[in-house]
Amino acid sequence: MRGEPGSGAGATTGGGAASDLPEAAVRRLESTAFSSGLTVPDFAACLDMGLQPVALVQGFCVMQWGWYGPGSGYMRGMSPYSGGEQTPGAYSEIYRCPHGYVSNEHRMWGQNLEQPWVEGAWAQGYGAAYSRMLEEAGTHGAHGVIGVVDRVSNVADTGTTEFHFLGTAVTVEGGPPPAGGVPWSTYLAGQRLTKSIEAGFMPVAVVAALASVRVWAYCMTEYYMEGTMGWGVPGEPRLVEQVSKAHMAVRQLARKHVRQQLAGDELHGATIDVVTRELSQGDEVVDCTLRGNRVRRFKDFDQVVLPRPTVRLA
Amino acid sequence: MSIDGATTPDVRAEMLKGAQSLATPAPPSNARGITSDLSVDEALLLHAAGWEPLDLVCGVAVVSVPVGVWNWGRGAISLASDAHDAAVDQAARQLRGECSKVHGHGVVGVRVEVAVRTHHIDVELVGTAVRPMDGKDPRGADAAQAMPFVSDLSARDFTLLQRAGWIPVGLAFGASFVYAPRRTAGAAMKQTTQNVELTNYTQAMYSARESAMEKMQRSALQVGGQGVVEVKVTEGPMSFARHAVGFTAWGTAVRLMADAHQFVRPEVVLPLDDAVVTFEAESLRGGGGGRRR
Repeated sequence: MRGEPGSGAGATTGGGAASDLPEAAVRRLESTAFSSGLTVPDFAACLDMGLQPVALVQGFCVMQWGWYGPGSGYMRGMSPYSGGEQTPGAYSEIYRCPHGYVSNEHRMWGQNLEQPWVEGAWAQGYGAAYSRMLEEAGTHGAHGVIGVVDRVSNVADTGTTEFHFLGTAVTVEGGPPPAGGVPWSTYLAGQRLTKSIEAGFMPVAVVAALASVRVWAYCMTEYYMEGTMGWGVPGEPRLVEQVSKAHMAVRQLARKHVRQQLAGDELHGATIDVVTRELSQGDEVVDCTLRGNRVRRFKDFDQVVLPRPTVRLA
Repeated sequence: MSIDGATTPDVRAEMLKGAQSLATPAPPSNARGITSDLSVDEALLLHAAGWEPLDLVCGVAVVSVPVGVWNWGRGAISLASDAHDAAVDQAARQLRGECSKVHGHGVVGVRVEVAVRTHHIDVELVGTAVRPMDGKDPRGADAAQAMPFVSDLSARDFTLLQRAGWIPVGLAFGASFVYAPRRTAGAAMKQTTQNVELTNYTQAMYSARESAMEKMQRSALQVGGQGVVEVKVTEGPMSFARHAVGFTAWGTAVRLMADAHQFVRPEVVLPLDDAVVTFEAESLRGGGGGRRR
């Protein structure tokens, strides 16, 4: 196992034992024929850049999605009444009922809580799949992996999640191997990669992070999310502060996690995906995935001429 | 190679330089890396126009919709419209706040997501904070940082707009929700076999659309705009209340900064890689002429 998303320099993950490629993968990678997942235009652009495709490489990891299940070792978040932050440095906000004691069922207390154990488990699965792809590439002496496609999906109906990476390993003609022998990687290929290189940005790694925030609603959040001011009384539209803050926090946390992997480099072409699982009575879990290309500027911008506007006659 | 004075770099040599830069470990850096959701094309275009990306920024707001609002009624559903406006305002305020924190002068390429649910309206705005590379902003650097613009224009459109002497000043938004009006049982019976305009429907829809657009224009004026470009209009029944219809209109409010509009005179080009093949050698064998590929 080598590297994790964004490390680009040999950080290790807890994703599995070293050199655990399947036998078929070893046989395929020993073949003299190259394979690539590039389209023909991307393949042509790749050769123009002096990149030599070596092999289609991939990495998988199937993780049990038991992070919320009963008996899970990750269930610390199921005890909301512990109060305060449960992991040092993790995001946490407490909300207290303005009504005083009403009844035992009344939600006197609420909390927005970052779930580092969910984020860690996701990073472990993602990192393991990623490092396996790099391992395949490294087996071939590749310098980089281009046109990376990653997918996170549920396997059948088994409560497990598969992390899957696919990309084309390449060598740079006459180029030195990257530091630490860990291939660089990028979601880009073809002309988009060419433009990035011409602009002075060298890909370092694909980076991604998941942030997860659990909302334990207090009474006001519960009421607002049910469209009332309490006890079924309708009122005016109100900002649902607790939920709004949770949504902002999860995006900011994802950005923070990704930024930690950048080490001063830049992130280009970021995409952000948010999944909200509404539980009940205002409770919800918000997961945010942020991914993009970590790039390093290796030269100053060449003077870019302002393009001429044109109209096509066709 | 040179095109109109611009030098095209040798991409192989550039690739080699890039690979060499990764051959040695990067020195430890405390620099705050730039994050952006711009494509390479967009980043280059912004650079050509003298702007640089700073950070991926976002704004989110969830505003409650009072219970009973979607029940049967007549006319506009003003509480839902108010909730929508409040959510957009709050999300835009947060977006500007994040932009100011990184000393940005504005946010471009803002992706707008609005979800109307039974008891709450969720608005999400995500974009890239930018600033002029030389620090010179036509609005003045201090004013720009104090009130960054928010625009859903792409980097291409932002560049073109600037070239024409205009600047974006903010997002303009308007929403209107209305009950689909009911006819009386008698009127419905009478009209069963007639081809007739349902005037109450026409008026309600017309009025709701106009109301959404009016609000959008009003919000453009509030942020100091002279007009709105790239207006998007959505409409349709609520999935949870089919008798209620929602209309939203949004775009980017713009203001003329130059003395007068600068005409951007595009050159006409005739692409030679025509998609329509008018003649194929294969057709000489008989059985068909040109084809579209």
